[in-house]
Amino acid sequence: MKQTKRTGSSLFSPQYMVRDILISLFLLAGATAISFGFFHVVPENSANIALIYISAVVLTARLTNGYLYGIVASLVSVVAINYLFTFPFFAVNFTLTGYPVTFIVTLLISISVSTLTTRIKEQADTLIEREKFLMEAEKEKMRANLLRSISHDLRSPLTGIIGNSTAYIDNAESLSDTEKLELVKHIREDSNWLLNMVENLLSVTRISANSMKIATSMESVEEVVSEAISRLRKRLPDAAIKVQVPEEFLMLPMDAMLIEQVIINLLENAIVHSKSTLPVELTVTADPRQASFHVKDYGIGISPDKLDSIFDGSCYDPDSSSDGHRGMGIGLSICKTIITAHNGEINAINHENGCEVIFTLPRNEETKA
Amino acid sequence: MNDTNISKNTILLIEDEENIRTFISTTLKNQGYKITSASNGKDGMHLAASLCPDIVLLDLGLPDLDGMDVIKQLRAWSAVPIIVISARTNEHEKAKALDCGADDYITKPFGTVELLARIRTSLRHGNQMKDLTSIQQKPYHCGNLTIDFDRHVVTLHDTIIHLTQIEYKLLTLLAKNSGKVLTYSFLMEKIWGPYVDSNNQILRVNMANIRRKIEENPATPEYVFTEIGVGYRMAEDEN
Repeated sequence: MKQTKRTGSSLFSPQYMVRDILISLFLLAGATAISFGFFHVVPENSANIALIYISAVVLTARLTNGYLYGIVASLVSVVAINYLFTFPFFAVNFTLTGYPVTFIVTLLISISVSTLTTRIKEQADTLIEREKFLMEAEKEKMRANLLRSISHDLRSPLTGIIGNSTAYIDNAESLSDTEKLELVKHIREDSNWLLNMVENLLSVTRISANSMKIATSMESVEEVVSEAISRLRKRLPDAAIKVQVPEEFLMLPMDAMLIEQVIINLLENAIVHSKSTLPVELTVTADPRQASFHVKDYGIGISPDKLDSIFDGSCYDPDSSSDGHRGMGIGLSICKTIITAHNGEINAINHENGCEVIFTLPRNEETKA
Repeated sequence: MNDTNISKNTILLIEDEENIRTFISTTLKNQGYKITSASNGKDGMHLAASLCPDIVLLDLGLPDLDGMDVIKQLRAWSAVPIIVISARTNEHEKAKALDCGADDYITKPFGTVELLARIRTSLRHGNQMKDLTSIQQKPYHCGNLTIDFDRHVVTLHDTIIHLTQIEYKLLTLLAKNSGKVLTYSFLMEKIWGPYVDSNNQILRVNMANIRRKIEENPATPEYVFTEIGVGYRMAEDEN
């Protein structure tokens, strides 16, 4: 409601008024010019002249905002017809035989047409307005959801960091060296986790918010994979990962940073949540159309009812705040966003001994469309 | 300066964030370096002129000066190794800093191990970028890989690796500057000459071939590492 009001008042801003007045004047002047020409050729037919003016009024109503210009234009037309094209010329005379009828009919047609076109335009505007409003609301809702889950995810490690550091400062004298080390270790763990979270969020900012498009360049798959693994190893030095890339040298259009982020998220997810010490396997295969990245673990798998929804962020459950799955919902939904922006696909399946996530990337830009 | 400090290497740290300054200073002091820090570019430049440090650690996001300008101005009169500290999000910035004359970069957030390794590498190599013609008598040696520059022979597990002319040139260039990141543009210019076009696909194809010849698994390299969007870095010479 508020928005309609705002656009309503803005229609009468000086800029619009000047424009509308100019349009009206132009159309009326045009009608007058044509009528003069017409009148010169066929002096006896003033009914046609009325039609020319009515056309000008209709156009005025269509091209200007609000009722005002149409109505004023119709009044001006009626007076102009009387003044210019009915006897006595160049004088206003309403006593002419039959003229009151012409006058009233012209006025009525003009007013009703102008209100009609104005209403159509208003309705179209309202429709666009409403659509925009709905989209805004949808976006707003998504943003609010994301913010809520992020804030939730950020709060627990921050609480840990603040708590541990406060404990250290407050009890510096009474704590043993081992206890102190323990506290600082917790701080480091939590900070590393926070860092991971922030990198994920930062990576999303590389995707243009409106078009969901990314800037891709041809990147070597093995280089991206190797950098992703070395970045992950910085944080999880003991991670057991088996990697295999195609013997063929493979280059794909992608944003390397984003794909690295996807690989890191999927590997970390597999390592941390599979509850298994068996190595996680990352295998890249290629066919002429696309490349597939398989991240396979030999752990507990994913419960079947969650399988379909793990990438849309909806498996985030505000009640299970104490479990160890903190943040992975966001990590996976970010993977989905990134892969979708690359025109690829991402899916998770359970195999007999665990879980496998597969994402594909098209091999050339043409397949994008 | 008293006698005990003479052997210590002096490091100048130009970084505006106090927390990071504190953490780097503490770490480096404990490692026996002498460290002076500046919180903005202007102070940093003055200190660089008056102290003649052995290494400059430079944060690119300074409040008063553009990091690139600091590099260029320092390079105008000094050959001191510059290690750039940069935020991760912009890979072009790193390549630009290196091409402006920085020697190496380290990405925030970094661990102390990484920082110390970079500093050691820069201290060892100094600012002199070695090209193909620079004479190096000692063979490069790392893990099972040996490159004998005199005899033009590359061996892995004592077996000779056959490389093409260009692959050999690339590998020796990286090996002679081992531990340092070499940018795409630097490598392209040194191997293919100054008039090569800017598409570096040919470079990456050659690197892929080298990886297939010397690395056990091209996806987990031991000798040549990729810095995506910037260039390549060879594992530090173990000699």
